[in-house]
Amino acid sequence: MRKHVTVAALAMMLVATACGGGGDDTPDAQSGPTTSAAPVRGGTLVVAISSDPGSLNPAVTSNGGVHTASEPMFNGLVGWGTDGKPTPELAESWTIEGNGTAYRFALRQGVKWHDGRDFTSDDVKFSFERALLRLHARTQASLGSANVTIETPDPRTVIFRFPQPYAPLLQQLNVTEAPIIPKHVYEGCSDLATVAGCPANKTPVGTGPFKLDSYTIQEIKMSKNPDYFRPGLPYLDGLVQRVIPDQGTQLLALENKEIDWVGSVPGADIERIKANRAIETATAPRGSGGGNCTLSVAFNMKPPAARTPFFTELRTRQAFWHAVNREQAFRTVSFNQGKVAPAPINSSIAFASAPGLPLPNFDVNRAKTLLDQVGWKDEGGGARVARGVPNVPDGTRFEIDWHGFAGDQTTYGEQLRGQLRDVGIVLQVKTEDNATFSANVFRNREFDTAVVSYCHGDDPEIGFRRTVDSRQISATAFSNGAGYSNPEVDALLDRGAREPDPAKRTPIYRELQQILVRDLPYVWLTESASLRAYNANCTGFNHQNTGLFAEAASCRK
Amino acid sequence: MNRRYVVRRLLQVLPAVASILVVTFAVVHAAPGDPVVAVAGESGDEEYYAFMREKFGLDRPLLTQFWTYSTNVLRGDLGVSFVQSQSVVALIAERVPATLLLMGSALVVSTVGGVLLGAMAARRPFGPFDLGVSTGALIGYALPSFWLAQLAMLTIAFRTGWFPIQGMTDARASYTGLAHWADVAHHMVLPSLVLAASEIALITRIARTGILAEMDSDYVRVAQAKGLSPTGALVHHALRNALLPVVTVVGTRIGFLFSGAVLVETVFGWPGLGRLVLSAAQTRDHPLLLGMVLLVAFSLVLANLVTDLIYARVDPRIRYR
Repeated sequence: MRKHVTVAALAMMLVATACGGGGDDTPDAQSGPTTSAAPVRGGTLVVAISSDPGSLNPAVTSNGGVHTASEPMFNGLVGWGTDGKPTPELAESWTIEGNGTAYRFALRQGVKWHDGRDFTSDDVKFSFERALLRLHARTQASLGSANVTIETPDPRTVIFRFPQPYAPLLQQLNVTEAPIIPKHVYEGCSDLATVAGCPANKTPVGTGPFKLDSYTIQEIKMSKNPDYFRPGLPYLDGLVQRVIPDQGTQLLALENKEIDWVGSVPGADIERIKANRAIETATAPRGSGGGNCTLSVAFNMKPPAARTPFFTELRTRQAFWHAVNREQAFRTVSFNQGKVAPAPINSSIAFASAPGLPLPNFDVNRAKTLLDQVGWKDEGGGARVARGVPNVPDGTRFEIDWHGFAGDQTTYGEQLRGQLRDVGIVLQVKTEDNATFSANVFRNREFDTAVVSYCHGDDPEIGFRRTVDSRQISATAFSNGAGYSNPEVDALLDRGAREPDPAKRTPIYRELQQILVRDLPYVWLTESASLRAYNANCTGFNHQNTGLFAEAASCRK
Repeated sequence: MNRRYVVRRLLQVLPAVASILVVTFAVVHAAPGDPVVAVAGESGDEEYYAFMREKFGLDRPLLTQFWTYSTNVLRGDLGVSFVQSQSVVALIAERVPATLLLMGSALVVSTVGGVLLGAMAARRPFGPFDLGVSTGALIGYALPSFWLAQLAMLTIAFRTGWFPIQGMTDARASYTGLAHWADVAHHMVLPSLVLAASEIALITRIARTGILAEMDSDYVRVAQAKGLSPTGALVHHALRNALLPVVTVVGTRIGFLFSGAVLVETVFGWPGLGRLVLSAAQTRDHPLLLGMVLLVAFSLVLANLVTDLIYARVDPRIRYR
């Protein structure tokens, strides 16, 4: 296992780092599994990114490209350790008051923005009210709909108040979900009209371990922030993010030692990369688009009037589930990266995920029987034909489409196409880019099935609620794609969000998932994981915190 | 060179570019997918979409939009990119040098190399060298550039370590002056060779055929009868006339070279226009996409004009009035 550093080991080491010593965040406890010597100071880490992000302001978007590129320059109030415990970042400590209706944060003393100005509670209020709650999709959807108000009694204190108890706040304050930006820099561009063209989007000012040197179309160059609030960090002098669109080229460049870090290795290349002794790998359940993503197939349960409602009937959705061999598709498409989804809520959110619920198993005969019962008759010649299916005109053939992005999402479609053909469902895979996909699926609802990677984050409130909440059936991209509407589910979601005691939330989410497993608005296919690959001379990465992944990294010469 | 002719040809450019503009505008707006949704990403609701639509003028009738856009273009204003919120002219100008460098060197390599290979092959038609070159040209012309790019990376860059895999400069070093240009040249070798490959193949074939035809004509035979060696007759007499079709082809290949550059730039991570046009198409960035199409259309028309002018230089019998 020398080469494959597990996340657990690394995370433990990093949590130890972050809270080490007397709790003053000194990096003395730093010791990686591959080196026991003191970390090397200096050097430049070259990281591959897939596209020119266009902007380096993470507070006004949840776009993964923007976040990957900009997060090393920013911080959240609170970090998030793998032990399920929040760790101090810009906030030094916090207390929960009023049974979860108020959170009081004491901000860290002496933190400076990259331009030398002091960080204060005004910046926190500004970041939330003018940017995050309005323009960061996940934070807007979760915290925004909880009607949070933010008070700043003094420069060192921030209070979040909610009309009802709100449990998941601490899980939503890291640099991915809620990066803090300086008021004095972004004030001039804090409304919808100016935010996109804000000059500071290209010349970001943050508090993070690295600060911007230059941003060109080829690369983003950052250098060490000498005034970073964690003394002694970062070890690296520089961080370069090089734009390399082609994944194959990224890996070759890593093997050729032109770059040091690739965020995600494609399945087909995993064996080759793992065999290379100059390269280390580590599995991580997250990227900057948010963590803990579950690849899900949305059935269109709310199609427009002119469209055949293939999947409004429960037994048809059950039949689809029985026809699909998720394990086999996982092996062929995901190359065993991640796992077959054991529950509707991602299993990395351990307190909420409910494994062991009776998801329909792979059973071709059961699928055929169910389809027969609904009225989808096998009359030979490929697709079944409707004979008395509710709301479907007789003679309609069971020919459906599958919308997805290029890559895994459509490869799964190709895999499942063969499996579904065996039960008389003909699937047509449509590969679409983001703009087309969002319009077809969320805005116009012109689809039969669509595959979406929903990132659930560290709490069901962050990225799971939107997938099944009937109030989030909207044109907004990556909302409730199935169009699933169930008042019971809505009520349980609200109860889960308001319950401050994590132990009491567990049964609420279990009950919720029991209903979902009964109603099956989605096929929960795979919980994704990406394989990071990096120069074996480098160590100390934090694979849990995508933004600050290189905060404590160092490279031997 | 006749000035009136040049002016007339330049005026002919206008209707050509105008019709290209109309067609592209229609195609871009008819494409599925909504730029507003693409810009908003995951965030955004109907209110935000409506706001953006108004901001970009997408809520107005298509004809009005077209009128606004074309009058702006006439004033030299290509608009502002939806996604990047930057002027299209600036975005393009920032990337033109890298692409010009790549395309320019590919053009030079393919023209000079192609003519040279063609001439050498034509010296002994159907000899072993000619057969080798002709077969190689056929293969080179048939290979898709993105595949050739990956092959070159794996076999040349990775195996030998002579050339870097990606980028325009070394990510760790920050060279200045001459060292910087040496670094760029080092990074440019593979992408420009790959981009030039299919062009070399085509030009070799055309140069060879042209030279063979000329070598068979009376004036070359006379020259040889007067004691000139076959090579001398080729270089001093046949080559110049055989170049006419080569010039034609080079002029019309600019567009193909650009589309090749889009692929080669993506594979090699070369920071040029190719990547911009790709992302503009993916995000339905209308102004940026239209700006790029206009640029390519304009350079094509211009390349044709230059081709015609070079004709007159190569062949004194051609005069324009």
